[in-house]
Amino acid sequence: MGAVELGSIACAGALGLVVVGLFGMVMSPHLIRIILSLAVLEAGANLFMVMVGYRPGGVAPIIVDGTIPAAMVDPIPQALVLTAIVIGVGVQAFAIALAMRLRRAYGTQDVREIRRRMEQDISRETGVPLPSSEDEPEVQHPRNLAVWTRRR
Amino acid sequence: MRYLVLLVVLPLLGAFLQPIVSRISAGLGRGFGPLILIVMAWIGIQAWDGTAQPVALDIGGFRPPFGIVFYIDHLALLFALSVSIGALLLWPRGRRPDAVREYTLTLVLVAAASGLAISGDLFNLYVFYELTSVAAYGLIAAQRTGACFAASIRYVIVSSIGAVLALLGVALIYLQAGSLNLAQLAQLAPERLTGPVGLAAFVFLLIGFGVKAELFPVNTWVPEVYATASRRVSALLAGVISKLALLIVVRLLILVYHQEQAQMIMLTLGILGIVTGELAAWRARDLTRMLAYSSIGQLGMIFVAFSIPGKAGVLAGLAVALHHLVVKPALFLLAEQWGGSLERLKGVARQAPWAAVLFIVLALSMIGVPPLPGFWAKLLVMVHLMEQAHPLYYLGMAAIMLAAVVEASYLFRLITRFYEPRPEARTVPTHHLQDLGTASLLGAALVVAAFYMGPLGDSLDEIAATAADTASYIRIVAPEPSPDLE
Repeated sequence: MGAVELGSIACAGALGLVVVGLFGMVMSPHLIRIILSLAVLEAGANLFMVMVGYRPGGVAPIIVDGTIPAAMVDPIPQALVLTAIVIGVGVQAFAIALAMRLRRAYGTQDVREIRRRMEQDISRETGVPLPSSEDEPEVQHPRNLAVWTRRR
Repeated sequence: MRYLVLLVVLPLLGAFLQPIVSRISAGLGRGFGPLILIVMAWIGIQAWDGTAQPVALDIGGFRPPFGIVFYIDHLALLFALSVSIGALLLWPRGRRPDAVREYTLTLVLVAAASGLAISGDLFNLYVFYELTSVAAYGLIAAQRTGACFAASIRYVIVSSIGAVLALLGVALIYLQAGSLNLAQLAQLAPERLTGPVGLAAFVFLLIGFGVKAELFPVNTWVPEVYATASRRVSALLAGVISKLALLIVVRLLILVYHQEQAQMIMLTLGILGIVTGELAAWRARDLTRMLAYSSIGQLGMIFVAFSIPGKAGVLAGLAVALHHLVVKPALFLLAEQWGGSLERLKGVARQAPWAAVLFIVLALSMIGVPPLPGFWAKLLVMVHLMEQAHPLYYLGMAAIMLAAVVEASYLFRLITRFYEPRPEARTVPTHHLQDLGTASLLGAALVVAAFYMGPLGDSLDEIAATAADTASYIRIVAPEPSPDLE
């Protein structure tokens, strides 16, 4: 009984990791947390990929002394995951390097603030004022105000 | 035909050699990349006649279901050629000492994009797709401004989510079919991939690969990346790389997913892309972002065209894709000096009459004004949409018609501004000769193509017929374990 349940638990866990990772990437405002969420998301996808090749009670598909094991796990997803992990590590390292550059350029890791600064930069370069609504309140938003005072 | 592997190997090798060559001699380093691209283009042109009958290359001599296969028909070769020629025309300009990094990344981008064109294995396509992405991130960040890094990291976030979704799609397909070879999937699809899980896999792959093809919900990166990256990189991404991502989806649609739901999903997202892209372009107040949004709209139209089932869809989609491939890079090159607020472009025609005329020709073709190729491409899409029975296709027609009106509205508004009296003491920087020359070359290709619409249409028809022939794809790749042919 244990083997089948292990498979479904791991599958559910993998999809759970995907959901947690996606949630973190979309919802968290901090760049480093987003990159960590990306790591979780990729781990989930990779685990799911491994589980696709899992056979209950299977062993590694290596023929020892000419005896073929009764159940073997599928090695192809494992090979694919190996590639996916390497790609994932590369992308995460690149993202961290970019985050450091951004920290140096804008002095923040908050994606909302980064986006605001980027829009400002684009606006300055193109000479197009930032879009604003007629209904926008005159007073600055409290969060922006906090950022503003901190920088002074 | 085995030498066609060089389409991927050569630029990859070149990317590794580039820093060494540049260290030996800076001048040699500048010419090294273009030389490789010229050789690639030459290989592609040489192979054109030989691939009238598509060829399959088993990498490393392993037969298809076990090994990776490259499948080269005229469609794949056409896109591989457009990558090398496009990258050659849009080769990074400038003599800064650190430009060698951009050269290297461009070569990696070219290698990965050629791989996307010719690979016949789903996981291999995923790897090439990721390689394209990473090279693109680096090229976007190469300007080294804060805005550039910000745009790049936001692109990394969207693109990584897309890549993971694509990986999940690959896993689901493997779960259902037990294979990732496109030819074998084509054989297994009717019994194993028509269910909800198979369709979910298609949606994951569509969204994942759609990030680069500027598909509707995952295109938030487009305006900011094109506004901050160098125009040449924007032109390469919008013009060439987006089409390669699209090509994967098209292959999947032709070979694996014939069912109506898959086409409808793609059609719906395409229509939404057209509507949102064109309306945003209409509201845009600077040239670069106007072009970026209009490129979302145009790619939406290409998605709509490819969602038509069978050969007709491939033909129509190919026509609009090739048209966009020529027009959009040229417009981006003209935006190199004209970027920024549209107000700055007042009276620019007196200062740069040739660039203004060129811009007008390209814009007219994009709107679809009759003698120019853009018209014939749009006409082809409309004709084939009209043949379809499903009511959603009529919505697609309406969206394309409406988009043409909106496009005409914002482009004519811009063109009138060119010929307004120029305000005193304000000049726009003149175009660099290389930008203007490349844009003129692309514009000339467009005008010449207008005179050869008949033969061009025939050859596109032939390419589409071969590409849409699933049975021949399966036969040529022959995924069954068969006795060694050698």
